[in-house]
Amino acid sequence: MLPAECSRRLVAELRDALDSCAELQRQLEQSLRVSRRLLRAWEPAETPAPEPTPGPEINEEAPSSACPPSPQDLKELELLTQALEKAVRVRKGLSKAGEGVKAHSLKSGSTSPATRASAPPSTSHCAGSCAPGTKPPRGIRHPWVPAKDLPGRRLLLVGDGAHMGKGAGANKPEAGLRDQQIIPQAAPPVPEAFTLKDKGALLRLPEAFRKAASRNARLWAQLSSMQTGDSVDAAAATAKTQFLQKMQTAAGQPGSRLSSAEVGRLQKACSLLRLRMREELTADPKDWTQEYRSLLTLEGLQALVGQCLHRLQELRSAVVEQPQGPWPEGPPRAASPCGGGADPMWSPQLLLYSSTEELQTLAALRLRVAMLDQQVHLEKVLPDSGAWVTVCSGGVGHGEDSRLSLLVQPPRSTREGVDEGTCECAGALGGGGGTGAWCLDSCPRLGPLKCTRPP
Amino acid sequence: MGRRRRRQPDPADAARALPEAIAALSRTLPAAPSPEIFRRAKFDRPEAAPALWRLLFHVLSPLSADSASVSFTLVDGPPELASPIAEAQVRWVKSVLHSQGYPRLALVQLQDDGSQGGRELLLALAWLLARGPLPERLLTQSHVRLGDEMPVCECEALASPGPPAPRVEAEGSVDIRHLQWLMGKLQLRWRNLMAGQQEQCALLGKIHSYTRGCHSDRSLGHLSVTETELLRDPEGGRQLLQRLETENARLEAALEWRHRELVFWRWMDTVLDTCPLEASPPTFLPRIPEPGAGAAGLPVRELQALQEELQALQEELRKAVEARRAAWQAAVGGHGPEWRAARRALQVAVAQDLAALQWAWEQGKGQARPHGPRRLVRTEARVPGRLGLWATEATEALRAREACLEAMLHQLQGQCRQELARLVGVRPGLIWVPPPAR
Repeated sequence: MLPAECSRRLVAELRDALDSCAELQRQLEQSLRVSRRLLRAWEPAETPAPEPTPGPEINEEAPSSACPPSPQDLKELELLTQALEKAVRVRKGLSKAGEGVKAHSLKSGSTSPATRASAPPSTSHCAGSCAPGTKPPRGIRHPWVPAKDLPGRRLLLVGDGAHMGKGAGANKPEAGLRDQQIIPQAAPPVPEAFTLKDKGALLRLPEAFRKAASRNARLWAQLSSMQTGDSVDAAAATAKTQFLQKMQTAAGQPGSRLSSAEVGRLQKACSLLRLRMREELTADPKDWTQEYRSLLTLEGLQALVGQCLHRLQELRSAVVEQPQGPWPEGPPRAASPCGGGADPMWSPQLLLYSSTEELQTLAALRLRVAMLDQQVHLEKVLPDSGAWVTVCSGGVGHGEDSRLSLLVQPPRSTREGVDEGTCECAGALGGGGGTGAWCLDSCPRLGPLKCTRPP
Repeated sequence: MGRRRRRQPDPADAARALPEAIAALSRTLPAAPSPEIFRRAKFDRPEAAPALWRLLFHVLSPLSADSASVSFTLVDGPPELASPIAEAQVRWVKSVLHSQGYPRLALVQLQDDGSQGGRELLLALAWLLARGPLPERLLTQSHVRLGDEMPVCECEALASPGPPAPRVEAEGSVDIRHLQWLMGKLQLRWRNLMAGQQEQCALLGKIHSYTRGCHSDRSLGHLSVTETELLRDPEGGRQLLQRLETENARLEAALEWRHRELVFWRWMDTVLDTCPLEASPPTFLPRIPEPGAGAAGLPVRELQALQEELQALQEELRKAVEARRAAWQAAVGGHGPEWRAARRALQVAVAQDLAALQWAWEQGKGQARPHGPRRLVRTEARVPGRLGLWATEATEALRAREACLEAMLHQLQGQCRQELARLVGVRPGLIWVPPPAR
């Protein structure tokens, strides 16, 4: 068996590593679920409010309702129509401006009243059998339609689009179509499901959402620009510094303690320096200028590392000197190279890719780097001296033991860890006294091992 | 606005300015109590303490790595009326503040039941606010992400695991086969992750290309999964909209806070003045800390690890420099005066280079580019004028890091081999075993 302490530590670290992976897997699976669902045909019950319908779609939607609307729905429809008609009259001029854009973005020809009329509305009563979702889901494009006023969850209007939940009825700006459109028709057509592939390009985001999103971006931009100082900020900054100093002196504690920020900086320094060193060492100097430059850089890096070490020593000795206060034990600080440098402010950053392969390569590489990071960490976890020897032993199933010889002898200190359980292997080999028998296949640290005979 | 505050303010304005500033602060922070509670805290009124403990907890936990380990009851309704804060949470707040360097001892002396200490907590909050852009950080952390995000910085892709359940470790020693099994399981998990990730990228690619042209923002061009999902599911969309609007309200409050905060700091000075000075040495016995803990809550082990890393780095550099210097001395010769000039130029260039590198970690900015997850945007290759990071560039940067890590891994394994070889020499009767044929 392994020495208790180091093996427990290793098990704990392995379990942490497994947990981290499991968490990533969980998140990934959730994303996969969502994405897969989006790429399938959308359930009719979930179809959101459609946009004003373009021509071809109307035809497909013609069979959109399998049951006749109820009188109540018709009444609602009527009220709604009136409201919309009025709105159209008011806003006709405004919407004309956007006409060209919209028509183009619909990617279809101009719609005609005839095609519109053929698409009957369906109502919430038919939720089960009807397919209000046959209309391609669209967002709301017309800003003036209040999203919250319109009643009914599944009330669909021909040509006007429909509102679902928070959606609002959208309208085509063309006047005159309205009158012809709202003819409840009880046509029992075959509903055609919406797929992203076919009609994804017709989607539009709801107006309320767009407004909120753009306001959000604007506010963030304002907040970011505030940080870059103005007269108000300077006064506040001074006040803050003075307050902090006052806090420090009022506390009566000697000097400044080892701050985790400082250590974080040193950790980041270490990783940046290492990265830079790698770059220099792997670079191939082509002429003496580059060679010399490389040499100077490495010497400079060496000096910087020396400085960091010196600073670290200073900090550590300061820690030792100060009395350990009565503070409750704190949480271990997770040190990450980016943690200290994390932007306090969000800003919209884009990652541009042009093909799925590019994206996959990047994602795979990210995971690989994370995996390597984890492996390096596990390597470092193993304490020194004899313990690693025992860890090198990786168990193989008993069935394969027969042809394996004896194994790495454990260090003297751990011999007492040998117990009955491992003696079976030793027994099969007639192993020497006191040797622990472990199967050694490929060691996580060493990789595959060679076979040599004992002297 | 600044000017207005600098001249002698109208008393009525002054009376209003502070509550308005605190109200703005209260609107931007999560779970913050009303301005009245703040005022009472100055006078150490008992009703202020629980609310402020709760506030501190909600302010510190999003930014802390291990917040998941401290469970807490959700706060519905006004924070003053929510259920009292738990002792565990109080202790957690104390320890986090300590690990961040909070200077005052009075905080730790407060009772764990959270019933006292309004003024001290107010000071703690102000201390946190003074040290950095706390509202902004919190807002960034809780920012509603509308796009498909992928982090490409050097951050570890692995989040710290969830609440570390107190595990009952195996009694005594551990079976080596158990370790082997764990390692195999880890390998399998990574394989699954890789496969799943590839599929997700393929799906994203499809969704992005199918929704091309739909986004009102032309620089984005297509919808993200979140946006498409809100079209598919209006109820979810409504919730998203609500979250977005809540965030907008908090953002506005943060802006207002930034405009008004000066009067708050003046007030905090008065609060500090009402506190009695702390006695320099603690008059009670300090609790003996756990072995291995540093003053700032940092395990000595971590410091040791850092030292070892730096020393290893130093050693590698030393060897490389020695070799190259020797080679250089041998090669150089017969360079004329133009060589001296060139050499000086190189020295200056390298010095600048390294200064920039040093500045990178001193200032806390790790990369030239901003850090954090980025929104994925599918676009035609190499369209000029697109602002953003190209995936190909990010891939190159990651390859460099991959090479670095691989080198480190090989080095560690090499050390292991050396050690093993040394042991082989020391201990007779050692037999190497070939790995079983698979």
